[in-house]
This record gives sequence, structure tokens and C-alpha cells, in this order.
Amino acid sequence: MKSLKGYVSSRVFMGERCPQHIQNVVLRDYCKKVDSQYVLSGVEYAMNNSFLMLQQLIYEIPKIDGIVAYSLFQFPEIQDDRLIIYQKILKRKGEIHFAVEGLKITTNSEIDRVEDIWLVRQALPYCYNPETNILVK
Amino acid sequence: MNTKRSNSFLSDKENEIGSKYLEKGYIIGPAHDKSALDWMRKSFIRVSKEELNITQDTLDDKFLDLIHKKLAISELNDFRLSMIRKVNALPDFRQKYYQIAKPYLDVIVGNELSMQLKVNVSIQMPRDDSSLLPVHADTWSGDSPYEVVVWIPLVDCFKTKSMYILPPEETLCLHQNFIEMSGNNSEDLYKEIENKVLWLKINYGDVLLFNQALPHGNRINEEDETRWTMNCRFKGLFTPYKDKKIGEFFEPITLRAASISGLNYKLPLS
Repeated sequence: MKSLKGYVSSRVFMGERCPQHIQNVVLRDYCKKVDSQYVLSGVEYAMNNSFLMLQQLIYEIPKIDGIVAYSLFQFPEIQDDRLIIYQKILKRKGEIHFAVEGLKITTNSEIDRVEDIWLVRQALPYCYNPETNILVK
Repeated sequence: MNTKRSNSFLSDKENEIGSKYLEKGYIIGPAHDKSALDWMRKSFIRVSKEELNITQDTLDDKFLDLIHKKLAISELNDFRLSMIRKVNALPDFRQKYYQIAKPYLDVIVGNELSMQLKVNVSIQMPRDDSSLLPVHADTWSGDSPYEVVVWIPLVDCFKTKSMYILPPEETLCLHQNFIEMSGNNSEDLYKEIENKVLWLKINYGDVLLFNQALPHGNRINEEDETRWTMNCRFKGLFTPYKDKKIGEFFEPITLRAASISGLNYKLPLS
């Protein structure tokens, strides 16, 4: 059975907030569904743009098989920073799972699917929204 | 809103489908990829038999319609959840689902789409009151009005074995008088619109696309056969999202080259 270590946030990510104990419930449930052992989560530091805990978890691979993050939107907003993280994880023969989205990256070929979602999400504030009547942010 | 639209940039067929959708709130047409639909139905039968430990050969013809003879209502929800999990895990299941409705989606929604991450399955046995969907519009509980539901039956659906929908004109009337008409609960609301709703007749082999912003639902299935249907939401990729967000509920499925290029564009470093 694979062991996945949880990764939860203590700060708002992409405008979303979820209490830590709820994040852990979701992670535990996800691990059960994918038949993996849930290893108690690391909590990211509250300072903006800090990913020290995430780096720590990556360092723990291959002692653990991978990381299960609550959401893919907990990762850095800058694409190049995200790509470096994916590559670090894959290079250490680890995997990264995203519980809310039910997605994972275990090979290079799975990166595009996750990145498409990221890029569209980041583009959406620049699309027309009749509720705000904003065409361009 | 003018429902009879003729746009000279669109073909006659596209104008016809679009107008019909706006006017009636739904369209029903033959599955675009019938072999994909047949594969899905066979998969459902195979997975059901595995789930119920049915080893002897039984005719597939009426297997789904008569599942209530092999499964108790008390076991139905666990069975349904297991089916949802197993069929969604089949390779290319969602790709096939999309192919079944593709030409209709192209016309009604567009060709750059977001699709729900999981296809839902509804199983409604005769006289079962535990699987009912009271009258609702998905937009009332946080769906974006830009979403379209693709509803695909695995059996012939008719009368109470099917679903009902309130036509757009009647919906407008309901919206204008919502407080008086909605009463104390959803059953009160249904009674108000009962003689205005339209029960959809749709056979296996056809596909339904409907506007989930129109009130719809089902009632106790009073027919002698079980209803099996799948449903899944689609929307324009770059249209506004509400509570069901990109990533956690929807994902891009048909990003085109220009958008991929645009999304990845970075100005030269100065």
C-alpha cells in the first residue's frame, strides 16, 4: 500500500479557505478511496508565498511514496514555480495527489491536465462576467 | 429573450437546434456515436452482474429494466454509488460520453468545453420513494446558468419512468410569482406547477440536452420498469462559474490551440 503524506494550508489560496480539520477529513477520505495509507499532514506556514513545508514533504520522498494536497490551488501561483515542484517530486520517484479535484501527477504526461485547469482558472477573472459587468480585469 | 433566432453566421441546422433549445428548454436527438452508447450500456450490464454476483447467463435485453427483481430498494443507494465509481473508472468513459452528444454540444454550448469530472447515474426502481429529486433548478443551488445537462438514458424512459421539466415560458411566470407559488416546501411548489410540467419521452439510443436553470425533477416511478439514466454537465470553458468550480467539479476537455497558446503566453523579459 502506498503511503501519502497530507499537505494542508493555513492560509487562503486562490481566494478559497477551508478549515484545517476539514482539509484533513477530505485527505483521509481520499486516501481510503485510492487505497493508500494516509500519513499525518504537514501544515504550510501562514506567510504569503511560503512553501517551506511543501519542500520539506518533497524531501521526505522516497521515505513516503508521495504527497496528497487538499487542492491543486494550494501550489504556487507562478507556473514556473509549480513546474519545478512537479519535476522535483517526479525526479525523486514520488507522486502528488490533489484530493478535492481527484487528480494526480505520477508521470510527466499528467502535468498538462493539471496545468490546463490552473491556467484556465487564472484566466477566468479576465473573461466577461455579467454579474460584475467586467470584461477585462 | 427572443427564442426564435436566425444568425446568418450559423447554418440552418444550427439555427434550428439553437432556437429549439431556447424555445423548449431542451432538445432530444439520436446519439451521435451509437457504438459508444452501446459500449456504455454493455459496461453497465457487465458491472451490475459482477456487483450482484450473477454468474449464469441472463438475457441482456431487459436486464436493466428489471433490475428491481434482483436488488432490494434498501441496497439501491450503495449499489448506485458503486456503479458510479466503477463506470467512471472505465478507460475513456467520459470521452465516449462526450462523443455521444458532441454535435449538439457544439451547437448549443460551443467547441471549447468544460465537463463535469464525474458522470452521475440515476437508478429509479418502480414505487421507490427513496430516490426522488424534488422539483428544483440546479441554478437555485449554486450552479452556473451557463451549464447544460446531457442526460442519456440506458433504457426507454416515458411517463413517470422519465423526468419532467417546466417549459421556459412557465418558468418565467414562476420566477415572477415565486413567493406566492413556492409555498412552504418543494411539494407545494410541485403542486403549483404539476399541470404545466412536461414529461419527457426519450428512448434508449437518444440523448437529451436540457437547460438546468428550468425547474425539473422526478416523481415516484409508477411504471413496472426501472429507470437507468446518466447525467453530466457541460459549459463553455471561459464562461462564468458559480459554486461548481473549475478543478473541483469541472475540467477543460477541448482546449483549442489558440487558447493553449494564449494561456501559456509570456511577454519577453525586459
